[in-house]
Amino acid sequence: MSGMQFGIFSVGDVTPDPTTGRTPTEHERIKAMVAIARKAEEAGLDVFATGEHHNKPFVPSSPTTMLGHIAARTERLVLSTATTLITTNDPVKIAEDFAMLQHLADGRVDLMLGRGNTGPVYPWFGKDIRDGIPLAVENYQLLHRLWREDVVDWEGRFRTPLQSFTSTPRPMDGVPPFVWHGSIRSPEIAEQAAYYGDGFFANNIFWPKEHFQRLIGLYRRRFEHYGHGTAEQAIVGLGGQVFMRANSQDAIREFRPYFDNAPVYGGGPSLEEFMAETPLTVGSPAQVIERTLKFRDHFGDYQRQLFLVDHAGLPLETVLEQIEILGEEVVPVLRREFAIGRPANVPDAPTHASLLAARREKDTTEVAR
Amino acid sequence: MSTRALAVVSAGLGKPSTTRMLADRLADAAADALREAGEQVETVTVDLRDHARALADATVTGFPTGDLRAALEAVAAADGLVAVTPVFNASYSGLFKMFFDVLEQGVLEGVPVALGATGGTGRHSLAIDYAMRPLFAYLRANAMPTGVYAASEDWGGAGGDAALTERAARLGRELAAAIAGRAPARPADPFDEPVVPFEDLLAGR
Repeated sequence: MSGMQFGIFSVGDVTPDPTTGRTPTEHERIKAMVAIARKAEEAGLDVFATGEHHNKPFVPSSPTTMLGHIAARTERLVLSTATTLITTNDPVKIAEDFAMLQHLADGRVDLMLGRGNTGPVYPWFGKDIRDGIPLAVENYQLLHRLWREDVVDWEGRFRTPLQSFTSTPRPMDGVPPFVWHGSIRSPEIAEQAAYYGDGFFANNIFWPKEHFQRLIGLYRRRFEHYGHGTAEQAIVGLGGQVFMRANSQDAIREFRPYFDNAPVYGGGPSLEEFMAETPLTVGSPAQVIERTLKFRDHFGDYQRQLFLVDHAGLPLETVLEQIEILGEEVVPVLRREFAIGRPANVPDAPTHASLLAARREKDTTEVAR
Repeated sequence: MSTRALAVVSAGLGKPSTTRMLADRLADAAADALREAGEQVETVTVDLRDHARALADATVTGFPTGDLRAALEAVAAADGLVAVTPVFNASYSGLFKMFFDVLEQGVLEGVPVALGATGGTGRHSLAIDYAMRPLFAYLRANAMPTGVYAASEDWGGAGGDAALTERAARLGRELAAAIAGRAPARPADPFDEPVVPFEDLLAGR
């Protein structure tokens, strides 16, 4: 696998199907997420990412448990998150959980860090939402060290100090899982991703592109500023949101009740207005291809494209059909088209293999000196 | 001599609207005083009625669309603001509040603002002071000491109009002096460098 990665990201919402009034059980929804991930691999996609939530109406509170299970039932799929809460989770536990998952999945693991935007969740974990940015900064600094230093002494504002602590297991092959920093609006998070030379995932699905051009532009310039490569070589991921049928009018007719009733859209702009202002594309596979290819014009060559397809109460069979269409008709064309004119110095999406190779090359160079 | 941008926000609903009429008077008075001080003036007027649906959408989605986005950008880029609302149920109208709820945080900090309100009777004139001023204090705007309230009698009654003109002129002079005393507006862009360097974030600064 080279070039760009394409995949699915799920928030794991339990939402009534507005066309039948039926709400899936938590058990059904959890199993559906696993089926969706397995379908993504079967359809030739590269990535499955799960959200992390600790409040209704969402089910995925324990991402590494779910991803560990999916790891055992897939061969090739990269398992990721969207997002892992760097604010309310203990960074020590993130370091250990994801290192364990990385071993079990033979390296097919990365993660996207986010702050979470649900106010009530913070106090449930002994935190304060007003500390969101400082928590993200301090916790990630610790996580970054725990994966790179065998023995850590550490003291900070938000957790008990560590003396002579070794996070176990150590990352596989000594290569920490790749980290994406997810953000919708905070320049501080773009700055954080740039500082470490990590990936930056702009979840652009709910807002207009102009905002994300500025946010991604900032990340790219600062990536270069911190000496990780040129701005064009920064590692960018984007979201997308699609619903497809062969005939675009059929897609709109079928999706409209889900749009009109979904908690995140209902009561606001019409489906047509939302499609005009955000990346939401309801139509034919050709329309999805055309729209997604435009992302490169807006944001530059990028590394990872994740689609949201399994929300708002859509039935599992429909979601699986959508993944099939992505795999058969959309992603092959996107791979081909995105490869055309992609400068040779723009890196592929990072994988465990590519990070390991890069580290070995660096070690060899250092020994040669 | 420089060109100063004056934004006018009117929450009037009728056509013609006395709220818009008062807004225009205040804007004209401020523009006259600025020109007397040797400044050039460009005025942008936002009638909130034109953006009523977009404001409701933005409240739900978190992003402003189309013409509303342009209106918000014009206000954010202004050197001074004239803000006028009808008084509904003893306060500013819901439409007026929605606009300032959707406006990006911090863009009115230190910006000189002229406050005006309209109503059927003079009994609501204090709404400027007990309702509008706290809102603009929260936004850290620089509200002028004079507020102009116009009731029905101000538009029709004998001598009422002259008194209104005089009050509008006083507020206009206050706004013009505050605008002239500041450097031309250049709204801060959080996505421009220098952002807070990461070392400072790490050090908790």
